[in-house]
Amino acid sequence: MRKIALVGNPNSGKSTVFNQLTGLRQKVANFPGVTVERKVGIWTLAEGERIGLVDLPGAYSLYPNSMDERIVLNILTNPLDEDHPDAVLYIADIQYLDKHFLLLTQLLDLGIPCLLVLNMADVAEKEGLTVDTRLLSDRLGIPVVSLSARMGTHLDILELATRKLLDSPSAPLAPFYRLSSAERQLTEKIREATGESVPYRALLKAHHGKLLNCWRSADEPEQVQAIREAEQFQSVRLQIEETMRRYEQFEPLLRDAVRRKRETRSLTDRLDSILTHRVLAPVIFFVTMFFVFQAIYSWATVPMDWIEAAIASLGNWLGSVLPAGWFSSLLTDGILAGLGGILVFIPQIAILFLLIGLLEEVGYMARAAFIFDRLMQPFGLNGRSVVALVSGGACAIPAILSTRTIGNGKERLITILVTPFISCSARIPVYTVLIGFVVPQTSLGPFNLQGIAFMGLYLLGIVAALAAAWMLRWILRSEESSWLMLQLPPYRRPVWRNVWLTIYEKVSAFVLEAGKVILLISIVLWGIASYGPPDAMEAAARSAQEAARDKGLDDTATEDLVAAYRLEASFAGHAGKWMEPVLKPIGLDWKIGIALLTSFAAREVFVGTMATIYSIGSRADEETVRQKLASARHPETGLPVYTPAVALSLLLFYVFALQCMSTMAVVRRETGSWKWPLLQFGWMTATAYLASFLAFHALQNT
Amino acid sequence: MHCPINMLTEGEAGRIVRFTREDVAGKMVMMGVLPGSQVQLVRIAPFKGGYYLKIDGMSMAVRQQEASSIVLEIGNGAI
Repeated sequence: MRKIALVGNPNSGKSTVFNQLTGLRQKVANFPGVTVERKVGIWTLAEGERIGLVDLPGAYSLYPNSMDERIVLNILTNPLDEDHPDAVLYIADIQYLDKHFLLLTQLLDLGIPCLLVLNMADVAEKEGLTVDTRLLSDRLGIPVVSLSARMGTHLDILELATRKLLDSPSAPLAPFYRLSSAERQLTEKIREATGESVPYRALLKAHHGKLLNCWRSADEPEQVQAIREAEQFQSVRLQIEETMRRYEQFEPLLRDAVRRKRETRSLTDRLDSILTHRVLAPVIFFVTMFFVFQAIYSWATVPMDWIEAAIASLGNWLGSVLPAGWFSSLLTDGILAGLGGILVFIPQIAILFLLIGLLEEVGYMARAAFIFDRLMQPFGLNGRSVVALVSGGACAIPAILSTRTIGNGKERLITILVTPFISCSARIPVYTVLIGFVVPQTSLGPFNLQGIAFMGLYLLGIVAALAAAWMLRWILRSEESSWLMLQLPPYRRPVWRNVWLTIYEKVSAFVLEAGKVILLISIVLWGIASYGPPDAMEAAARSAQEAARDKGLDDTATEDLVAAYRLEASFAGHAGKWMEPVLKPIGLDWKIGIALLTSFAAREVFVGTMATIYSIGSRADEETVRQKLASARHPETGLPVYTPAVALSLLLFYVFALQCMSTMAVVRRETGSWKWPLLQFGWMTATAYLASFLAFHALQNT
Repeated sequence: MHCPINMLTEGEAGRIVRFTREDVAGKMVMMGVLPGSQVQLVRIAPFKGGYYLKIDGMSMAVRQQEASSIVLEIGNGAI
């Protein structure tokens, strides 16, 4: 299969082109060894040929200032790389061609067949901008297509031009850039010493050394290093000079090809005078976030109730149809409970990514980074950290992945380390179940009081994240300079296709990846909670029946007591009991101990675990987990288990603790060692324990 | 008159004459910000933070330290 790469600056509309060409036939993974997103898809041409399309990260040049740009450099300079394309579709924003041409001319010098795509032609037309594509094509020696990926226009022309390019790769051009005499001398020497055939790649080898992986032999880097020293090579200065000369070469061309009317004060300027206003901007940001969380809390409950009810009645139905026994029990209490635990999250994840995706799509997220940059700096963070912290409200995993746009290593590390403090969507079900035990279901003016408490828990996570960042700033050492140069794209109407694809991708990743773990854990749990050492299980059942007789309990109460005793004697009970001495000081018992253990696989497992634990042995019923917990009584004393003190202690534990092995795995991959995730786990658990201890004892005594 | 961007008031504009730091220059030129580019200081961010610049019609945000190493030639006509 022939391969094509989409290359272009950030904000060139590359991803929209990619989504238009591939639709749902796309996969998102990471480049090996790093966490830069690798988006690949299949583009099926009209004649049926299938082309492998890879959407490379946004880059400004082959002199990288970020991990994204390093990936692009490495793929495009190394013909042996698995993503090295047969041809490149170079996507450029037609409104800012002068800013987008640098990387294009660098690609031409590497000898890669390119097709220049002038994107956003619809906007250009509206603003009276015309580009002579014929002239550009003649002077650059490559095909040029102007289109609008957002409107989906001229994609057919792109397809024709692409096929032509693939079928008859154009004759090698003379390099675009004329090397200076010093550069020519250097590249000649490198070519003689190493046999490098492309002059510009020889120059890149001198600039980047070990950063590249396109070396032909093990000693080539040393040879190049020796030549660099002999020539007194000054990399940064020469990069700047080369870049300036490239501009000098293509600016006259663009002057000839581009005609524009003088622009008036645009909509973006008018919006930004409000949205980045010194006083209004932060207010607008927090009102927006408040709305986002209220939306999740109130909109999602309706479909969640449906899903819960459907799962419960399906369980009832199965229970009545199937003969009682281990199989029926496994199906209803193990598998169905697990499935319910997965499906119930879809509304929340979808709503969150709908809103975050929209904000990103219209261009607001870049403004958020600009607004909060100064505020983040004292904490050792970066304006871009805000985006990660906000996305952390959905899930720490994509949030940690999004930190790759932070150029400074220390700021990036701090962002990664503190993001899991932000309450993710997996904590929502835990909060939902427990919040009712602490705060009554009433309204305060137009707002739901539980909604406000919910926001309070989120704020607590944010405070913890910032406090941890502030401490890390003093602990971690760094020589790197901290910087921010952020392009603020014009506000645009969202491309719904992009938003839907984001939601689809996040939901399916959750269902397929986290879902697998949840289902597995749910089944394992059913196993360890249903079985135990046989003698102990029988003894437990007998002593429960005796106790029930002594108290004169009716049949139902006896059954429940037997169930409670059996669970206590099961393998799960043993694990929980083993933990109980540690949990007692924060008001928790061995049942919660089991849930804490299992929710390390994914926090949302807490709910499934509690459902399993409290429904074992009892007949299937349609009560929700919440109601089950509310009716839970100590078998001996008959007092409610979930007092406000216990519930608050548990809530705080979930706010602060790093109970997510997926997050730890991602942090390990991002930071390159187990040191950081383990430290992170240690201090987050310690914070959680301390907070729970204080809250439990404060509330217990009132 | 030559003046670094951080000395401008909101709304003032000029052309870049030079960068005073090589690392800033390196990053700037890669993004298409060059000597000769037309720059306007549109706004300073909340919390006295970043500088919202309009560079050749493109909106961009930089920090104070980058802003202070970009020197503009600003018109010396009366306002």
